[in-house]
Amino acid sequence: MTKLREYFYTDWSAMTGADWFGLLLTVGVFIVMVVAYYWVLNPKNKESLESHRNMVLDEDKRNAEK
Amino acid sequence: MQAEQQYSFQIVKWFAYMAVVYLVVGTGIGVYIASELAWPVLNFDNPYISFGRLRPLHTNAVIFAFGGSTLMATAYYIVQRTSGVRLWSDKLAWFTFWGWNLVIVGAIITLPLGLTQSKEYAELEWPIDILIAVVWLAYSFNFIMTLSIRKVSHIYVANWFFLAMMIMITYLHVVNSLSIPVSLWKSYSIFAGVQDAMIQWWWGHNAVGFFLTAGFLGIMYYFVPKQANRPIYSYRLSVIHFWALTFGYVWLGAHHLQYTALPDWTGSLGAAISLAMIIPSWGGAINGMFTLSGAWDKLRTDYILRFLIVSLAFYAMSTFEGPVMAAKTVNALSHYTDWTIGHVHAGALGWVAMVSIGAIYHMVERLWGTTIWSVKLVNLHFWMATIGTAVYITAMWVSGIMQGLMWRAYDDYGNLAYTFVESVAQMHPFYAMRAAGGLIFFLGGCIMLFNITVTIRKAVANESAKQAALVNANI
Repeated sequence: MTKLREYFYTDWSAMTGADWFGLLLTVGVFIVMVVAYYWVLNPKNKESLESHRNMVLDEDKRNAEK
Repeated sequence: MQAEQQYSFQIVKWFAYMAVVYLVVGTGIGVYIASELAWPVLNFDNPYISFGRLRPLHTNAVIFAFGGSTLMATAYYIVQRTSGVRLWSDKLAWFTFWGWNLVIVGAIITLPLGLTQSKEYAELEWPIDILIAVVWLAYSFNFIMTLSIRKVSHIYVANWFFLAMMIMITYLHVVNSLSIPVSLWKSYSIFAGVQDAMIQWWWGHNAVGFFLTAGFLGIMYYFVPKQANRPIYSYRLSVIHFWALTFGYVWLGAHHLQYTALPDWTGSLGAAISLAMIIPSWGGAINGMFTLSGAWDKLRTDYILRFLIVSLAFYAMSTFEGPVMAAKTVNALSHYTDWTIGHVHAGALGWVAMVSIGAIYHMVERLWGTTIWSVKLVNLHFWMATIGTAVYITAMWVSGIMQGLMWRAYDDYGNLAYTFVESVAQMHPFYAMRAAGGLIFFLGGCIMLFNITVTIRKAVANESAKQAALVNANI
């Protein structure tokens, strides 16, 4: 346990502006990604997302060389 | 022909054809330098064709000339077809064509002369770096503007991958290339020491992650369902694949610098995220492969689909191998050995080149409204590409692991068991085998160039004959 604490020890007072910017940006992006996953995997959204599966095949109707 | 008027396909045709030309040139140089390593007499004591100068020319030719031309051809093709509109600007598209080719000519002249920044995959000197940035921005701007005028509400996932590549490569290229010029052809990086190394590998691994992976996944998500004539297996999985890959890849660069002056935790973080990246990478590969569910028989007859599906197998294999090599224990053995070269070529030949070749064969038939001149030659090409890749990577795996084991072997007294020269001598047969594998792959590329040149010439001749007949009928 002590070793783990040592491993994760952070001197917060030594954090520069760039460090804080990077930290907040990373955590922010991570949270956005979790929200995106929740949205994508929510069964309610399955139909609307999967409706785009055929998009590549449907575009043949618009394109004349096929 | 109606589609030709509806869309800007002339630019796609030129980029696609030049991609094949650069495939031959880039792999040809690769075979030569591989032979130089096996038989050093081929250096001919000529500095301009020495391994040190031709090696960056090989990497620039295959990555930026072949890979870049393929990405530009396919992005321009896919964005138009999935958006239902013509390119926003034809002039800007032609600017990217001539500008990109000017970059390649610059590389062909400067690298053999020894003009280099000595940064891997970013060797070109500052004037060419500025040209790359301008052309890349023009390409990205044209793509984004075409999306903005689309007639379809949803932006297809292949375009997301292209967008991620464009945004990240702009950012990475500009930051990594920041340097102080001291003359027209000499500059020094603004970064120094371990910071320079970290920035370099932040760029280096993301050149792999965004240029050679995200962009080519865009190709995969369009051409696999299109060629199989089946919808993508799971659109939701493609969305997750996209966000996980985009979030994860930027963290990996530090795994190139294990056991160096870089803080230890940075390498551990790079390794941990690398291992986590197996999940989205395999998710994407499975998504592509499962698109064939219920229609696997198509692989028996569809030569283009074979290239696309085998490329996914290599993608899955190399995205498993990479994270394993990033883990510190394995890295202690694999780093600085030929295993790394084998890994890179499993991705470059097996994944990037194979998926590109499949996409180009697909586009040639559609763009010129014809069928390929010789299916037998395409099949021959498929087997040559597959066997050439397998021979190459097997040679490098064996050579690399042997190297690593020889370098770390100790005798009972704690002395090194082998000298460095002994390890070099042991590698000779594997270097010869690597050159043979590369040669097989290169000859396959020559066959492709011949086959599509004949296909295009015949299609153009047929079109001219049809138009002449039409004119005669009207007289």
